[in-house]
Formats: sequence, C-alpha cells, structure tokens
Amino acid sequence: MISSVLLPLRTAWETLQERIFFLPPFPDQLDSLALFSLLLVVGLLVGEWLRAHLGWPKIIGYVLAGTVFGPSLLGWISIEALAQTRPVADAALGLLMLEIGRRLDLRWLLRNRDLVRATLGDIVLSFTAIFLFSYLVVDLPPAWAAAAAAVTMASAPAVVLLTVEEFNAQGQVTERIILHTALGSAAALVVFTIVLGVVHGQHNADWINAIVHPLWVGIGAILVAWPIAALALLVARLLPKRSLAQVFILVATALLAVGIARMLAVPVFLTLFVMGAILALRDKDKTLSYTSLPDGHWLLAIILFVVVGASLPWQQFTWLTGIQAIGLLLVRALAKIGAFAWAGGSLPLGKRILVGIGIQPLSATAVFMVYGLAGLYPEIGRSALALPLLAAAIMELVGPALCRFAIARAGETARDDSQKGGVA
Amino acid sequence: MTPLTSEFKHSRPLTLGVELELQLLSQRDFDLTRAATDLLGSMHYDGRFGEIKLEITESMIEVSTLPRATVDGIASDLDGLRQTLLAQCARNNIALCGGGTHPFHHWPDRRICPGQRFDELYSRYGYLAKQFTVFGQHIHVGCTSADEAIWLTQALAPYVPVFIALSASSPYVDGVDTLFQSARLNAVSAFPLSGQCPELRDWAHFVEHFHFLQDCGIANSIKDLYWDIRPKPEYGTVEIRVCDTPLTIERAAALAALAQSLSHHLLRTRPAINTGLHLYVARYNKFQACRYGFAAHISDPLQRKPVEMKELLRELFEQLGEDARELGCSAWLDLLKVSLEAELNDARWLREQQAKHKNLNDVTHAAALLFASGTTTESGENKQ
Repeated sequence: MISSVLLPLRTAWETLQERIFFLPPFPDQLDSLALFSLLLVVGLLVGEWLRAHLGWPKIIGYVLAGTVFGPSLLGWISIEALAQTRPVADAALGLLMLEIGRRLDLRWLLRNRDLVRATLGDIVLSFTAIFLFSYLVVDLPPAWAAAAAAVTMASAPAVVLLTVEEFNAQGQVTERIILHTALGSAAALVVFTIVLGVVHGQHNADWINAIVHPLWVGIGAILVAWPIAALALLVARLLPKRSLAQVFILVATALLAVGIARMLAVPVFLTLFVMGAILALRDKDKTLSYTSLPDGHWLLAIILFVVVGASLPWQQFTWLTGIQAIGLLLVRALAKIGAFAWAGGSLPLGKRILVGIGIQPLSATAVFMVYGLAGLYPEIGRSALALPLLAAAIMELVGPALCRFAIARAGETARDDSQKGGVA
Repeated sequence: MTPLTSEFKHSRPLTLGVELELQLLSQRDFDLTRAATDLLGSMHYDGRFGEIKLEITESMIEVSTLPRATVDGIASDLDGLRQTLLAQCARNNIALCGGGTHPFHHWPDRRICPGQRFDELYSRYGYLAKQFTVFGQHIHVGCTSADEAIWLTQALAPYVPVFIALSASSPYVDGVDTLFQSARLNAVSAFPLSGQCPELRDWAHFVEHFHFLQDCGIANSIKDLYWDIRPKPEYGTVEIRVCDTPLTIERAAALAALAQSLSHHLLRTRPAINTGLHLYVARYNKFQACRYGFAAHISDPLQRKPVEMKELLRELFEQLGEDARELGCSAWLDLLKVSLEAELNDARWLREQQAKHKNLNDVTHAAALLFASGTTTESGENKQ
C-alpha cells in the first residue's frame, strides 16, 4: 500500500537523479533512527491515550500500537523493519531482565519459609498444569508440550516491573509479585534450557546437539554474565555510589552483555537475568545496589512493547487455537492462584490470591523464547508453538491490566495519578 | 465540658510510659517504604510488651510500652517490642530503624495510613501531614493529681533544650546535612498548635484555657495541642514530646530515666517556676538546642545570662544523682553522662557514618543494623 502511494514520488526522484548527480538512490527503507522515533511516538501516543482515558497501563497501548501498525494488520511496520529494531528491543528486554535479576532477594526466602513453599508450588503447579493441558487436551507431542509449559510457566518481568513503576506501587503484594516473578523466571529459564535438549533429542538423530545446546545456552549465559558483572562491580567501586557515572557503568556493561550474548547466540534475556542475579548476590558492599536504571529505560521499553506487539502472529489466529490458548491461560491462572492460596503463610488469603493474579502477565520473554525455539525447527516449531505464542499475545493485552488490578486492589498504588512512571 | 478535659485519670507517681515512632525501610535501598498496615495486618502479637500501632503515614510505626514503675521495666518492654517488630519485619523483608528523620526520603511519596483520624489530619493539614513523617519519642510521667500534672508540665518546660540535645538524631533532611542536631522539630513547628504550654495556675485554669481554644474553633481535643510538653488526662500523665527517636532503644530508656529522675527532683524540691518569663526565651532556647546540641548556649531568663549547654547538663546530672539512685535508674543516667563527656549524640554518630560511607543509603543501613543489634552508640556494648 505504501509503495503505491510513494510511486509518483519515486518516479519524480529518479527523473531528477539523472540531472542532479549528488542525489542518493530513492530510499527504499526508513532509516533505523527515523523508524525508532516513529515507533516511539506512535507507541507513546496510544499508551498515553489509553492511560488518560481508560486508566489502562501504558504497556497495553504500546502493544496495541505495534499490533495495529505491524505486519498482522496495517503492515506499516514491515518484517524487515522489525528485524532492524531487534537490537533495540533486545537492549530494552536485557535491561529489564537485568533489573528483575537484581531484585532476586534470596535472603528473604531464608527469612520467610512461607515464600519457599509458595514459589515451589507456583513453579511445579504451573509447569505441570500447562504441560498436562498441552499434552492431554491440545494433543501436542510431549517434548513440545514441555516447551509450551517452559515458555509460559513464568510471569513477565518486563510487564511486572514497568506496571509497578508506572503506578508507583509499594507493599507486600507488590514485593511478592516481584520476588515470585524473579524466581519463576529463573525456574522457567532452567526448564527452557533442559527442554531445548529434549526437543533436539526428539528431532535430531545427532545426540551432540541435544547435550551441547542446553549447555551452550545455560553455561554460556553464566560465562558471559559472570565476568561482565564482576567488571561492572570492579569499575563501579571506583565511583561514588548512586552517581550518574555508576548508572552509565550499569547500562554500559548491560549493553556489553547484550552484544556478546547476541554474538554467541545465547539468549539475551537469560544472560542479563543471570548477570542481574550475580550482581545481587555478589554485591556485598552494596556498591551498585542503590543505583537504578535511568528513567530513559522507558523509551526503550516503548520500543520493546511496540516490537513485541508487531511480532504477534495474529494472522495465525484460528478459533480452535484461540480457545486452546484461553484454556491454557485459565489452567495457568488456576495453578498460580491455587499455589498461593494453598501455600498459606502470614499474608492473608485475599492478598495471597492477589499475588497470584499479579503474576499472571506473560510477555516479551515468552515471545522471544518461542521464536528462539521455533527458529531451530521451523517446520514443526511454528505450528507446535502457535499455542503458547497466542497465549502470550492475549496476555500482552490482559496481563498488564491484571497486574495493575492486583496492586490497586491491594491498596498499594499511589492515590493520585500524578506519580512518576512512564513518560507522562 | 468534654470528657477529655473533665477527667484526669490519676496515676501512681512517676510511673513511666514510652512511645517511639520508628522508620520502616526497604531492604533494597533503605529508603522509607509503605509497610505499616501490611505489618500490622499479618502480625500475631498478644500485647505483652505494650502496643504496636499505625502512625500518620505508612512508613512509620509506633510502639508504646506498658506503664512501668522503673526504667528497667521500660527497657525490657522496649526490647520486647523491638524483637517482636524485627521478627515481623524480617518475614516481610522490611528493615527497621530509629532516628528523628529519614535522611533522604522524598516526602511526596509518602502514603497516608487508612483510617478516619488520618484522613481528617490529611484533609486539615494537607502536605504538612506527609512532611510529618518524622520520628519522635514521647515520654509519659505519671502524676497523682491533675493539678500536679499542670505544675509539672510547666516545671519541666525549661528543660526542653536538655531533652532535645540528648536525643538529637536528625541531622539530615532531603539528603542534605541541615547543620542541625535535630531538624525534626522544624517539621513539628509548622503546625499551628505546636509550641509551649502557656502560663497556667492549675487544672481548672487549663480546662478554662482549653475551652477558650474550643470556643474559638482552634482545637477539638487535647490531641490537637502539639505542645512540647502537655498533660495527658486519659493516661494521668505529663507527656514530654520533644525528643527525637534515638537510634537505639537503650538511649530511649536512658531518656526515660532522665525524665523520671528530673520529675522526681522537681516534685521533691518544688522550685519556684516562672513560666511567663520562660516563654520569652523558650523558642530561642529550643532553636539553640536543635541547631547546636551540646554546643548550644541556653538563655537563663531568671539569671538574665546565657549558659553553656554542657555546663548546664553537668550540673543537672550532679543534681539528679540522688534521685536516680532512689529510683534505681543511675546506670541509665550514666549512659547519658558518658554521651555528654564524649560529646557523642546520635546526630554525631550519623555524621560519622556519613563521613565513613559518603552515602546516606549506607548510613541508614548502618542505623538499621545498630537498632537491630541492641548495642549503644556510646559504648558499642549491649546494655540488656
């Protein structure tokens, strides 16, 4: 559609080119920076409008903007353009995964054993319920049912962090949503690497891949994350705590990890999560503990969610897959809420249920995991993973609202809306 | 006549009660966090050491001991309350600390606690209510009669700077060294009914004065009077309200020992009081104590000359020795004497921590560790 609109302009340009020698060839592709800025503006406008008029989390607006302008609907964001923005999306996701890794507070688990019971319940019940649903109800092969469960069992760190930040939430429900999101992500990433081996084992006669690939992913992430985290701490120790220079070091080392992970085909989200967790565990002197991501990470987050929205395969939607995806999400929701209700503990039942609702989001990490897996075996993976992908697509829009509902119902959001968060 | 002003509940003489407002911190960065209702909502506590209750914002929690005859009893209650709260905070990943102000919190982020009284305060005082996220120690001294309470309220008034200097623990506000030893009281002085008790003859005169304030629409209950020292009829006590919450409960107990010994001394010697004259210098003296602590110069309106705080304190401790021995609280008073001789109050300890860490997050972290450890800033030893 766009090319037919541009045709007269292209013709005029090419005519001029014959006489004006310095004119470059007619630009077929939008420059990356221009694309970046357009995604930013479009996502921002839709997000702000939804927030102002309906009170919805801004993330929903960013995803909707990507969906509407992406290849599935209007096609203004092409598949090639999406590929162009992938490094920015990786950087955004990487930074948010780093942050959730830094929030992994294992000492809290030692001080409150109720949390261990709750998180084990969540991990085991979620994986088992989704696996059984995918295997028995949807009839996926066991390896791909396990893959679907690995991809969708955890909450979405990026959505949870940004929603909490947007609504300036503070309190026990919020803290536990963040903790269980971090722990669930850690478990999902471990299961994901194991499932990689299982999938290879089932589709590949050569056993080397079945063993080496999970090791490459798992150990590779640690080998990339560990020295970079050590480097970050080493340099940060030379600088004043909470200084802008420390923020730059944090961001720069995170981007270094993103770059190296991309070079080595190790998942970015896994590497940065591990880096964040190592920073949290090794930072005994709290060198970087007080240093936060700059507010600018919201700019990257907008791009991330517009790109995720544009990547969602709504064209693959069939009524059957849609119903199956809703079934998967219901089973997952029951598993999570049930795990927290069962776990007991000092938090009242109502608030435990709210924690279960707050960790419902399912998002960018899952989508990128699916594409990573499906890319290995395109002929099978695409169809086998349509279910978790569609479930993720639905939750892109519903998840932030559920997370927001949980923290608002718990009375943990700021009373007025003039709070920080986002770009408002 | 309202029940509050008509009925003064008589107490056993010189019984003590201590209230402490404590800071609730995030374990991540040691900033204040919203935690009070969650902590209380999931707490199983039988009240054996006294009460634990909400304060105006969600980042504060108030503990109050049971009425006790001795300072040892107060210290024991405070320790029990500390242990109870620390255990509950640990389960919820919250840190707890003393200090009159949080060194770097952003007051607009504070949340008002749910409850009709807090809603009314917020609607009446607006942003002042959020800025009132400061932390004080209140000491109650039991009185046998309402008239005695009014007399003691005025007799204690000249010693307000003493309590301020010895308890000062709020040198930082908004991430800045205020140069004050106690900056907390500046937040309190914004309230219209803060300040000093006026010159009163007896309880009947106090009731008359209160009705005057009621008729003028200025105050509805005695809770509206944010005086430095005020009578508390429902407890049958005089309440000293000018102390910062110290960094340790040991210092809080020591301040209670000072209040008890001083009240005992005043009631025993019954010195002539001249409240009217003292009111002329009260604000100046309070400023001196807040700003300079032990280095303050206190104006003595009777002798018409300034007196060095250190000199004044030494003389006072000398005078109170016999009273403290009689009350069995000499050891607690000695803790304050050591502090005076070393010129080490909590404000100085906080500044030393800042000089060491060059970071207020770490300073607050250190204060939380100190509060939990049960040691004192003076000796580093456990008094319990």
